[in-house]
Amino acid sequence: MMDIFLCLKQPSRMVDSKRMRMTSNFQWILLTFLLLYLMNQVSSQKKRTPHDLKCVTNNLQVWDCSWRAPSGAGRGAAYEVCIENGLHSCYRLEKNTKIPALSPGDHEVTINFGSSISKFTLNEKDVSFIPDTPEILNLSADFSTSTLHLKWNDKGSVFPRHSNVIWEIKILRKKNMEIVKIMTHNTTLNGKDTVHHWSWTSDMPLECATHYVGIRCYIDDPKFSGHKEWSNWSLLKNISWSSDSQTKVFPQDKVILVGSDITVCCVTQEKVLLALIGSTNCPLIHLDGENVAIKIHNISASESSGTNVVFSVEDNMFGTVIFAGYPPDIPQKLNCETYDLKEIVCTWNPGRPTSLVGPRNTSYTLCESFSGKCVRYKRAEVPTNESYQLFFQMLSNQEIYNFTLNARNPLGQSESTLLVNVTEKVHPHTPTSVKVKDINSTAVTLSWHLPGSFAKIKLLCQIEINKTNSVHELRNITMKGVENSSYLIAVDKLNPYTIYIFRIRCSTKPFWKWSKWSNEKQYLTTEAIPSKGPDTWREWSSDGKNLIIYWKPLSINEANGKILSYNVSCSSDEETQSLSEILDPQHKAEIQLDKNDYIISVVAKNSVGSSPPSKIASMEIPNDDLKIEQAVGMGNGILLTWNYDPNMTCDYVIKWCNSSRSEPCLMDWKKVPSNSTETVIESDQFRPGVRYNFFLYGCRNQGYQLLRSIIGYVEELAPTVAPNFTVEDTSADSILVRWEDIPVEELRGFLRGYLFYFEKGERDTSKMRGLESGRSDIKVKNITDISQKTLRIVDLQGKTSYHLVLRAYTDGGMGPEKSMFVVTKENSVGLIIAILIPVAVAVIVGVVTSILCYRKREWIKETFYPDIPNPENCKALQFQKSVCEGSSALKTLEMNPCTPNNVEVLETRSMVPKTEDTEIISPVAERPEDSSDVEPENHVVVSYCPPVIEEEIANPGADEAGGASQVIYIDIQSMYQPQAKPEEEPENDLVGGAGYKPQMHLPVTSTVEDLAAEDDLDKTAGYRPQANVNTWNLVSPDSPRSTDSNSEIVSFGSPCSTNSRQFLIPPKDEESPKSSGGGWSFTNFFQNKPND
Amino acid sequence: MSCQLAILCLLTLLLPLLSRGAPMSPAERITQAYNLALSMQENMSTLLQTYLQAQGSPFSDPGFSAPELQLSSLPPADISFKTWNALDDGERLSRVQGAFLALSQHLQLVGDDQRDLNPDNPILLAQLRDARLRAQGMLGNVAAIMTALGLPNPRAEDTVGLVPFGASAFEQKCRGYIVIREYGQWTDRAVRDLALFKAKYPL
Repeated sequence: MMDIFLCLKQPSRMVDSKRMRMTSNFQWILLTFLLLYLMNQVSSQKKRTPHDLKCVTNNLQVWDCSWRAPSGAGRGAAYEVCIENGLHSCYRLEKNTKIPALSPGDHEVTINFGSSISKFTLNEKDVSFIPDTPEILNLSADFSTSTLHLKWNDKGSVFPRHSNVIWEIKILRKKNMEIVKIMTHNTTLNGKDTVHHWSWTSDMPLECATHYVGIRCYIDDPKFSGHKEWSNWSLLKNISWSSDSQTKVFPQDKVILVGSDITVCCVTQEKVLLALIGSTNCPLIHLDGENVAIKIHNISASESSGTNVVFSVEDNMFGTVIFAGYPPDIPQKLNCETYDLKEIVCTWNPGRPTSLVGPRNTSYTLCESFSGKCVRYKRAEVPTNESYQLFFQMLSNQEIYNFTLNARNPLGQSESTLLVNVTEKVHPHTPTSVKVKDINSTAVTLSWHLPGSFAKIKLLCQIEINKTNSVHELRNITMKGVENSSYLIAVDKLNPYTIYIFRIRCSTKPFWKWSKWSNEKQYLTTEAIPSKGPDTWREWSSDGKNLIIYWKPLSINEANGKILSYNVSCSSDEETQSLSEILDPQHKAEIQLDKNDYIISVVAKNSVGSSPPSKIASMEIPNDDLKIEQAVGMGNGILLTWNYDPNMTCDYVIKWCNSSRSEPCLMDWKKVPSNSTETVIESDQFRPGVRYNFFLYGCRNQGYQLLRSIIGYVEELAPTVAPNFTVEDTSADSILVRWEDIPVEELRGFLRGYLFYFEKGERDTSKMRGLESGRSDIKVKNITDISQKTLRIVDLQGKTSYHLVLRAYTDGGMGPEKSMFVVTKENSVGLIIAILIPVAVAVIVGVVTSILCYRKREWIKETFYPDIPNPENCKALQFQKSVCEGSSALKTLEMNPCTPNNVEVLETRSMVPKTEDTEIISPVAERPEDSSDVEPENHVVVSYCPPVIEEEIANPGADEAGGASQVIYIDIQSMYQPQAKPEEEPENDLVGGAGYKPQMHLPVTSTVEDLAAEDDLDKTAGYRPQANVNTWNLVSPDSPRSTDSNSEIVSFGSPCSTNSRQFLIPPKDEESPKSSGGGWSFTNFFQNKPND
Repeated sequence: MSCQLAILCLLTLLLPLLSRGAPMSPAERITQAYNLALSMQENMSTLLQTYLQAQGSPFSDPGFSAPELQLSSLPPADISFKTWNALDDGERLSRVQGAFLALSQHLQLVGDDQRDLNPDNPILLAQLRDARLRAQGMLGNVAAIMTALGLPNPRAEDTVGLVPFGASAFEQKCRGYIVIREYGQWTDRAVRDLALFKAKYPL
């Protein structure tokens, strides 16, 4: 700012002196008044002179200075302004003055107005630089792109030097002028008036609302040190869309980048109810009038028909379609090649899909920079991610092409370039019209058609030659390209009469790509004469009169055509026999020959000619030193080796046959060169387990000598049968076994030995299970001497059953087993000893017992046979008298619930029971006591309930017997056990023995009864109880028919009883059933002992 | 395949028209046209469905309907019953003929629009082509009936005429919708008209 120097320094000094002198309370008030006075003085002084000098500039060349006029100065008052800037220049001016810009630094400015003089110090720093307000020359709008174009002049010519200008442009929208954007734009002033252009693209379509634009500037002159300020804003210019009354939506069919934002508006005079993007409702942004807009953020890729934006008014809908997609990707894998050197085909991959289709789809232009030619890609109806291709016609005399592929869509463009030498990028078409022609039987010519003008380059072609059952052969051929597309070459080194399949593919030199293989062409080469005679052998017939000549058909390679026939001839020194025209399928001929030496010759013939003859001598060279050897093969074949023999000049022949066949036996033969010493004989006819004979012949001067005879198996198997064996001899401790050979067919290998197993064992009990499991009781003998045919087994036990097993084995395994049971003979000495010792012991015991009994006979009598009381005193026997007296009243029998039984009275010895009574009773503890306790006086109930409870009665006759109430007198001394049918067999009983016998079938199980019956029949002597003790024991104590319940009415053996028959003496001998079941014998002893 | 079959069917229906040498009775021609109209009716909903589906939301939204959209270049199918009933044979047939003439031309336009908007939807394009062929078939059938009945056959004229070719995509979509909708309505009306003729001219 300006400093003002006034020539009034006195007052200020006065003020100072006054202030210093003030001391009292009024000091401050006075001071204040003084100050106000002084200020007033100063101001009045100012007002009397020009003051407040201010300078501004708008072009840096002229300063526009102004000051305040002194009070009283009228309008049009003249001032003299003098500036001290080196020269003293004075201007006579009115109130404002334009002075040329002063150099930097302080300058004294004196303004004289009448008598008053004002002095100012003026510096550039005090000058403000305010550029002129810019003026918009033109504001235009591109509605389709929503772009505003602004044009203005920088009026640079008024500025002395170059300086930067910052333009600030503001965009306002709507009628209420909302600021949308303020942007800066930098330019430089270059001393000339320059019109500037500036464009701005609106986020909102310009049709949606009125847009206003204003501009101001700021000139940043680096040399100007004063105060730089922005210019004033220019006058606003606006752009608005003059709509007709129709409702419209903007923008229409806009293509935008995926992810960008877009504003869509509806210019309408109707009220918009809602806006939809697709099916999503959008908030409305209200613009002027009824116009509305919506803003879409981060739009996603559209489907092919675009994204719909719809505004609904009351009775209509309006909308637009937005296509959101991507700019084209850089074309990928651009490749240009030619098929025929006439046309270049370029292929590429479009890369990322753009999501834009139809007219918005990517268009491609392929341009070649050297020729300047371009071709356009016609858009496909259906967009594809697959390869695109364009054809470019080749130009004559141009080999190198620089291609640029430009991809363009509404969102942008991209390109890809390729420099290519087409002669190195030839990918020939597939060869066609392949033809084959004969040259001879081993060579043909191949011709084909390959479209293209390859006259200037070389072709590399590959011929694939396929022969059936053979690896395919590839031959490379380099040839000069021709203009007429026809190619021809010769293919040699073929086999006659062979089917070949040819196919061709071509490339160019330098190699780029093979063409596809042509179609296959099959061709049969012509025939040639057979290259060699057939492989021949001969055998004498079994009677030795005829020679059978065998030959093998020639292989395809040797036959060189179809063999039609064979000629066989036999020649000796004297004569020649010939058999001609033996047609092909026959490979054998028989000629009657004497035993002279003949040379047999066989030739094969095809349509072209005859093969060289193959010759063989009819006779063999004898060999005395011949052994038969064994050989085993390797499953599929058999390896034969022999020593090298320099005498053998032609070859070796191995012939073989199945050993079981009769002579002449020939399955096949094989020739091996004379320098070999081994061969593997293989044949599909070989079977494992079959014995073959192999004969090795050596050849000298077409004559063959048998060198070796070999029997062999290609694979050994286990025998299929066991050797037949018989026991030749047995003794008490040894067995002699003899066996027979196994037939060769069933042996199936070389016999290596026999295995003989033996063990103790019966046929039923001892099964030879798990012979190989190593049971300790099995003894095994391995007989490896295959000539051995017998075996004696020793150290055996006498009278013992042995299980013998024999099996043969080969290297192929064990054969089946054959077994036999043999019992060794008894050992007589042992038997004698076994009898004598018990007899001797028994005798000794008997003697000692007899002696003892004799000595102690009195004691024994006292102990075992005390005096028997008189049976006359026995009450139990009194009833017998009554019976005898015939007192019927007393004889009344009282029936008890027991099953009635029969008592048989044998009329002989009717009185005997009396003496035996005590004996009967004594063993049974209960019954005698019971009977004595409940003894009635005269009423003797003879009742007895046999325990017929649960047993089945085997014999129906017994039921009848049981059901009948009879009185039968029995001699109770009889030990006879009655049969189950007493009625039917009384005679037998009578005959069988006298005395008492029970008649009733006893309620015992039939088995036990039978046993007892038999036993009793055997031993009829002495008294025996009739009931089995077991039956008594079976009765339960609480049974109504048990002995307890019947104890009150016990009677037995009485002739008056109708029921009684049971004797209540339990059997003494419990062991007897057992002993009778299996009686002890020496045989048992011997048999059982080993098992124990 | 279905496309080819449809064309085959169509050809069968159109065949009598092409071979004008074999004269057919008016009743036969009416029956033939009636059958064609019925087959058009059957395919209507599928075509509209396919079309709307391809235009994206909100067109493809379920239940989309915009009766307010109209196209001035197409004669409206709506008619009061009284007026319809009072139409004489010639007037009735010539209105159907005029409508299907306009429809066939508009369907061509819609087909072209959709080739730009939905080039990757061959089903839609084929159905539009079929619809256009059917409309042409109906046109021919009606003309044949008119000839058979001895009615004057008005000259075919360009009805699309002032259709703005610079229509926006949205307008194209709407236009297609209106055309197909009107095609359906005119088909329904044709079925009724031809049923009337069938009753009037029995076989």
